[in-house]
Amino acid sequence: MNRLLKSCLVAATLALSNVSAHAGKDGGTLSFLVQPEPPTLASYVSTSGPIGLVMPKVYEGLFDYDNDGKMIPILAESYEMSADGKTVTFNLRKGVKWHDGKPFTSADVQFTVMDVLKKVHPRGPNSFREVSAIETPDAHTAIFKLNKPAPYMMRSFSAYESPMVPKHLLEGQDVKSAPLANNPVGTGPFKFVEWKKGQYIRLDKNEDYWLEGLPHLDRIVGRFIPDASTRTAAMENGEVLYAAYNAIPNIDAVRLKDRDDIDVTTDGYSMINPMALIEFNTKEGPFVDPAVRRAISTAIDRRFMIDTIFFGYGKPATSALSSNFKATNLHATMPNYPERGDVAKANAMLDAAGFKKNSDGVRLNGVLDIIPYGEDWRRAGEYLKQVMGDIGINLELRYEDVPTWLKRVYHRYDFQMNVNYFYQLPDPVLGVHRHYGTDQIRKGTHFVNSSRYSNPTLDALLDSGAGEPDAAKRTAAYNEIQQILANDMPVVNLFELEFLVVYNNKLKGAYDSAMGAYGSFREAYLDD
Amino acid sequence: MTQSTKIIRYVSRRVFQGVPIIIAIIVINFFLLNLAEGDAVDVLAGEAGSATPEYMAQLRAKFGLDQPLPVQLLVYLKNVLALDLGYSFRHDMPVSDLIFDRFFATGLLMTCTILLAVGFGVLLGLLAAMQLNTWKDAVITVFALITYATPLFWVGLMMIVVFSLKLGWLPTSGMENVAAFYEGWDRAKDIAVHLILPTITLSLFYLALYTRMMRASMLEQYGQDYVVTARAKGLTERRITFVHVLRNALLPVVTMAGVQVGALIGGSVIVESVFAWPGLGMLAFESLFARDLNLLLGIFMLSSILVIVVNLIVDIIYCFLDPRIEVS
Repeated sequence: MNRLLKSCLVAATLALSNVSAHAGKDGGTLSFLVQPEPPTLASYVSTSGPIGLVMPKVYEGLFDYDNDGKMIPILAESYEMSADGKTVTFNLRKGVKWHDGKPFTSADVQFTVMDVLKKVHPRGPNSFREVSAIETPDAHTAIFKLNKPAPYMMRSFSAYESPMVPKHLLEGQDVKSAPLANNPVGTGPFKFVEWKKGQYIRLDKNEDYWLEGLPHLDRIVGRFIPDASTRTAAMENGEVLYAAYNAIPNIDAVRLKDRDDIDVTTDGYSMINPMALIEFNTKEGPFVDPAVRRAISTAIDRRFMIDTIFFGYGKPATSALSSNFKATNLHATMPNYPERGDVAKANAMLDAAGFKKNSDGVRLNGVLDIIPYGEDWRRAGEYLKQVMGDIGINLELRYEDVPTWLKRVYHRYDFQMNVNYFYQLPDPVLGVHRHYGTDQIRKGTHFVNSSRYSNPTLDALLDSGAGEPDAAKRTAAYNEIQQILANDMPVVNLFELEFLVVYNNKLKGAYDSAMGAYGSFREAYLDD
Repeated sequence: MTQSTKIIRYVSRRVFQGVPIIIAIIVINFFLLNLAEGDAVDVLAGEAGSATPEYMAQLRAKFGLDQPLPVQLLVYLKNVLALDLGYSFRHDMPVSDLIFDRFFATGLLMTCTILLAVGFGVLLGLLAAMQLNTWKDAVITVFALITYATPLFWVGLMMIVVFSLKLGWLPTSGMENVAAFYEGWDRAKDIAVHLILPTITLSLFYLALYTRMMRASMLEQYGQDYVVTARAKGLTERRITFVHVLRNALLPVVTMAGVQVGALIGGSVIVESVFAWPGLGMLAFESLFARDLNLLLGIFMLSSILVIVVNLIVDIIYCFLDPRIEVS
């Protein structure tokens, strides 16, 4: 009975949020900025940002998510979850065709999840780790069998996170080197036409799209412009209409938003959840004592960093988890995370922990590595050097190129303190666990537990948080996790980054998906 | 031996000499590039977010990056001798396709720039030398100094601000209008319009160089004995300048132009970046940060070949400009 009731409820909510084709004008070309040029178009192998800007227009996921986090049915019309959470049945949409005319069926779903995402996708092995098998009783039903309940899995069905790919073009080949990579064939509203290296990627309207009346646009062109000032000029000139993930730097965005034809929004990043942070080496070097890390977190003026360096875009971090997890009741505000820094208190904390200042006022010497992703981070490093100086920690800054930096931090662990940012993604299991779990100390793997923090109590809590189907118990587990992390601080979160979308307001209908720029743009249209 | 057989023998000997130079360039570049920390797999995996060490090891094996360096070098050299420039793992395309794709854009920008810079440089230098110490000379000299001293990226951005944003005459960037996708003649016209700003920006710098060089070279020639002789013979100043002095004064300018063709491939990175021009310079720049060594080596090889060929052409032009110089 319980199971039946639950299934009905799920089906009902999905029906309510069912797609209603947006009214909009047909025709026109949308040029938007893709920065930098993607390395390949294989979104099922790489989650690299620029690939995410392009490919969700071509490949679709089973679901999309709206700005309130509600699931929007795309290739799946609905799903039912069993009471024990270990069987999830997806009812797939009928009449959907790949761009080459072949029908989309449950076999494609089975192949995509079991043979592609679980094997070669960077995050797929994590998102679908509990999936042991997928049964396909008919062409339009896919039944996921799970070892343990995996509530987070339901947050990772977007076209960006888990694109559905055609089995008939990948089967029997090496998935990573198959020609599909740069000749993508999807089910999405736009078809891939050509990729002129160094210039643009062109997508044309899919005339046979399964939802009558969509998409509105005839064509989408993603342009690559290496120079930031030129990108801004192209936006001002109306040559490009949409720029996300800070393709237009904040310093220009605050100027452009005063124009009548250009608007700026921070929407469209809630499923990405970027968090600026400092990783510490907890095994060797000057920051092995948690007391030092707590003092550092206390001294940092997060509000100042946001207002001065990031032009007011950002929210001070209040815990190991982003405040966007309030929606699922997982976030709790923690101590040692002041919005405005308290240098006097931090000094007192260090005095109490026995770190004495020498005659030059220095307690500790250290090196701060800075993520090589642009000027803003360099300025953040300069601020940190200054404020750390105020509490007697003398920092030297180090700024290297991407491969050198990755090697240093994630291969050789040859760092002490590293400014970085992580995507926390739509669920802590997907984006946060990789930072703290003992099983996530994986030498040579990027963006995992580089601080080599290991705490069996925390590991047990992370496990129970991942598999707990009961919402209240899950909240309790994460509350405890955040308390432990606010005390030990292997990682000090700085602030929740707010990336910007800068857009020409004659482009409409592109802002409804929580995926933002990683969305399909099927309802986007030009209004002049 | 006639002049033409002499030239043919000379060219074939120079081409033959070029081969070991190119191989040496490849070997040196190969080791130099491998000194950099990290490889293409690190960058790919870093961009992709999390990737397992097993996956990265698989990729390395696939790319041949798990082999010892000397083996990698030998494999590469063997492929090059078979005219195979290898595969760019980052772009998932053969290197030769990638380079060929971009070479058109680079060639176009380079040719237009050299023609504009040398043409106007020679003209302005000539004018300045003929009107020595007049206001015209002063204006040209000051103009040359200013353009030479101004950073390229700034000139480019100011061009965009003035001609694209304020006047709205020209597009800001790119090589084609991507909203329109013209065909045939419309496309050629579209590309020409996009070419104007980058060409002017890039040639301004070189223009200044050639102007100053041409002026100095002309002045030097004016002081030579043969000019005194010509004057004594009663030749007009016009004839002395255009028939005698100009030809001799061109020699250093031609030499300089030959050297700079090679540099232009890489030296246009800034202009390519500011105007989003899809040329080889930007490709080389990006491949360096992506540790795409096959692609980089390919580009380096191409530019070294280009330098050798252009220098050969320059040497042959010498013979025509100054019959006293002979190939041997």
